[in-house]
Amino acid sequence: MRRTWWCFAIALLAGAVGLAPDALAATQPVSGGTLIYGAGADPDSLDPANTDSNPGEAVGRMMNNFLVKFDARLNIHPDLATSWTQSKDGLTWTFKLRKGVKFHDGTPFNAQVVKYNFDRFLGPEKPLKASLHTPIIQSVEVVDDYTVKFTLKVPFAFFLNNLAHSATAMVSPAAHKKWGRDLTLHPVGTGPFKFVEWVRGDRVVLERNDDYYEGKPRLDKIIVRTVREDSARVLGLEAGDYDLIVRIPPEEVPRLMREGRVRIYAEQSNRALWVKFNVTKKPFDDIRVREALNYAVDKESIVKNIYQGLAAVIPTLVGPLNNGYAPVKGYPYDPAKAKKLLAEAGYPNGFKTNLWTPKGRYLKDFELAQAVQQQLAAVGVDASLETADWGAYLAALRKPAAENKAEMHLLGWSPSTAEARWGIYPISACDQFYPRGSNLGFYCSKTLDELINKAVVATNRKARDQYLREAQEFLVKDPAAIYILATKETVGMSLKLHGVINSPLELVYVDKDTWKEK
Amino acid sequence: MLRYILHRVFMLAPVLFGVTLVAFFLLHLVPGDPAEILAGQEATKEDVDRIRVEYGLDKPLAVQYVRFVVSAAQGDLGISIQSRHPVRELLFQRLTFTLQLSLASILVASAIGLLAGIVSSTRQYSIFDTASMLGALFGISMPIFWLGLLLILVFAVKLHWLPSGGTGGLRYLILPAIALGSASAAVIARMTRASMLEVTRQDYIRTARATGYRESVVIFRHGLKNAMIPVLTVFGLEFGTMLGGAVLTETVFALPGIGRLLVEGIFARDYPVVQGAMVAVATTFVLVNLLTDVAYAFFDPRIRYE
Repeated sequence: MRRTWWCFAIALLAGAVGLAPDALAATQPVSGGTLIYGAGADPDSLDPANTDSNPGEAVGRMMNNFLVKFDARLNIHPDLATSWTQSKDGLTWTFKLRKGVKFHDGTPFNAQVVKYNFDRFLGPEKPLKASLHTPIIQSVEVVDDYTVKFTLKVPFAFFLNNLAHSATAMVSPAAHKKWGRDLTLHPVGTGPFKFVEWVRGDRVVLERNDDYYEGKPRLDKIIVRTVREDSARVLGLEAGDYDLIVRIPPEEVPRLMREGRVRIYAEQSNRALWVKFNVTKKPFDDIRVREALNYAVDKESIVKNIYQGLAAVIPTLVGPLNNGYAPVKGYPYDPAKAKKLLAEAGYPNGFKTNLWTPKGRYLKDFELAQAVQQQLAAVGVDASLETADWGAYLAALRKPAAENKAEMHLLGWSPSTAEARWGIYPISACDQFYPRGSNLGFYCSKTLDELINKAVVATNRKARDQYLREAQEFLVKDPAAIYILATKETVGMSLKLHGVINSPLELVYVDKDTWKEK
Repeated sequence: MLRYILHRVFMLAPVLFGVTLVAFFLLHLVPGDPAEILAGQEATKEDVDRIRVEYGLDKPLAVQYVRFVVSAAQGDLGISIQSRHPVRELLFQRLTFTLQLSLASILVASAIGLLAGIVSSTRQYSIFDTASMLGALFGISMPIFWLGLLLILVFAVKLHWLPSGGTGGLRYLILPAIALGSASAAVIARMTRASMLEVTRQDYIRTARATGYRESVVIFRHGLKNAMIPVLTVFGLEFGTMLGGAVLTETVFALPGIGRLLVEGIFARDYPVVQGAMVAVATTFVLVNLLTDVAYAFFDPRIRYE
């Protein structure tokens, strides 16, 4: 008996010693392995110029490169362009390109490729994201094999942001010539991972690109699985079936953190949620009413109770990590002041209105709308809640002012170029009323438009950001919406996985340095 | 018999025509535009209009419908507006998968259902009878969604015996088959029990017993075979419904079945996918009903279709 005990003790000791090198090894990156990624939805397209979904863009970022790229804090760095210069008038940009880069199909990357890609945007094909470049770029010229020159129609302070946009990924001209619009089913980029297959509704499979210009990626294979149900994704992560999952419901986060069997990684995203007023409808044409409703909503309490802290209050329409975001002073919660302003505007007993909201499109959107409805009721504003599935919701909202029945509507907006102008202009400028743009509240202010225009043509960053700050200050003075919050993207991953990128653009992806312990 | 089968298959054409007609116009009655959903929030009206033209959505409804019927008759179901995958390819993948899942589920359902039903009927009012009928009540009342998550929690998260979801072989089908098959098992068990109780009171069963046959022969050859007709009806209906797609099971277990294709198609207003899936579901349902009718004749030689 005693001997058995000793043997057991020795075995334990040996086990402990044996464990130590493994524990050390955990800090040393290793190569190999398959990453199984549980995504919340299928990509809409794997052709970067035609995607408008987070799953599509996230997969794209693993397959593609850009002339310049965002880092995890949305700063811009060289990628396929190594350096660039801008002319004094801001109309000409010249880029030096990286040499020795090859597409997955063997096509070499050079200035002709860049021209081909931009001609595709500017030409008759008009991919979905053409409108990102057509108003700005006049022409693209090949200077020599590795130098390319862009001529702009107008000076544009956010040009580099547009080049780092998911849609502006460089695709292989040979593949595009061969497949045309069906490039989405046969994507070819230069990125760390190559496309293998896309079984819709089930998986997208990528494999390591051994010729990647930054060096061989550590992971062998990526399988992106479509797992729509939130709880099924969480359980699958806990069961070890997925190494990485997105969009963990906030109510699950405290438990997962407490149990510590998986790693939870929440990152502030640029997704701003607000309730827009239709200013063509009474009483929202009255600035005092718009102010009052901003005072009436307790945003801090919504962040704390509905989002479990996984969101941040925003002072205007713009999320905090956008280039040009200014931390201006927003509206505090002050129902007494709200009532006073309503009385001044001629509504001492409040009024009846409606509030449209999607359900399940954004994190906790419906719950958020319910909270807003209750808090407005407390100051006498009786808003009936209207909801519909996303398709019907868009159809109801995207109507010209005369036919638009929504008096207030909740939407989320995430500037995909990561700059404050895109968080304001398309949804609040006078020339962006639907059907020209996405201004569905028909808010229009000459002052705001002027400030935005000045920011656009500014050729240095300091001036640009100063105009953007003034624009955001103006939006507080003359509110276009009830400004509420910007969500955080909560990612869950296996303790063995290292180096995942959770971008504020709500894109979760991996790169060549991401690695998985054996 | 052959004539009967041919006649039924021939009748499939008007059924499918009706299905496409109803599906097409119902879908267009629902507000929402596939081009608008695809183009996304940042899109301009021009972007949306371009997509509408590209997929022929700018044409009058009647023209769109005729176009669809004409190309469908030639075997071309078009491409998905959402992802550009050919609809025929999508349907083939999804139906293959749904067939596997349905077969596995109906296997689970009939194994459990028949066994519980037979034993309950032979030991009426015993503890086993009460227990299995209570189990059947649970099986029918338990929401599939909840049962699915519970199965994942126990067998994938706690015990690590089986995968929590996705595709990849037989192991991946076990939990979904149990979740999907449990409600059908309950229905089959109750139907088998009721039908067996009725049959075993018949004179010919008493005669069979009096002749000295073993009890198992009496139950299975004389009893069960005669009790099978109503059970088969239930079996056919359950199997047909499974083949029509099991959206909840597919969603909980992240399975690429025809049900999710249809529902996601509806949410995206992906007309070609919804049309194709409706045709596929209707066809399988009609065929399964036909198979059920043919099976009646096998179990009861008195039934003839002339």
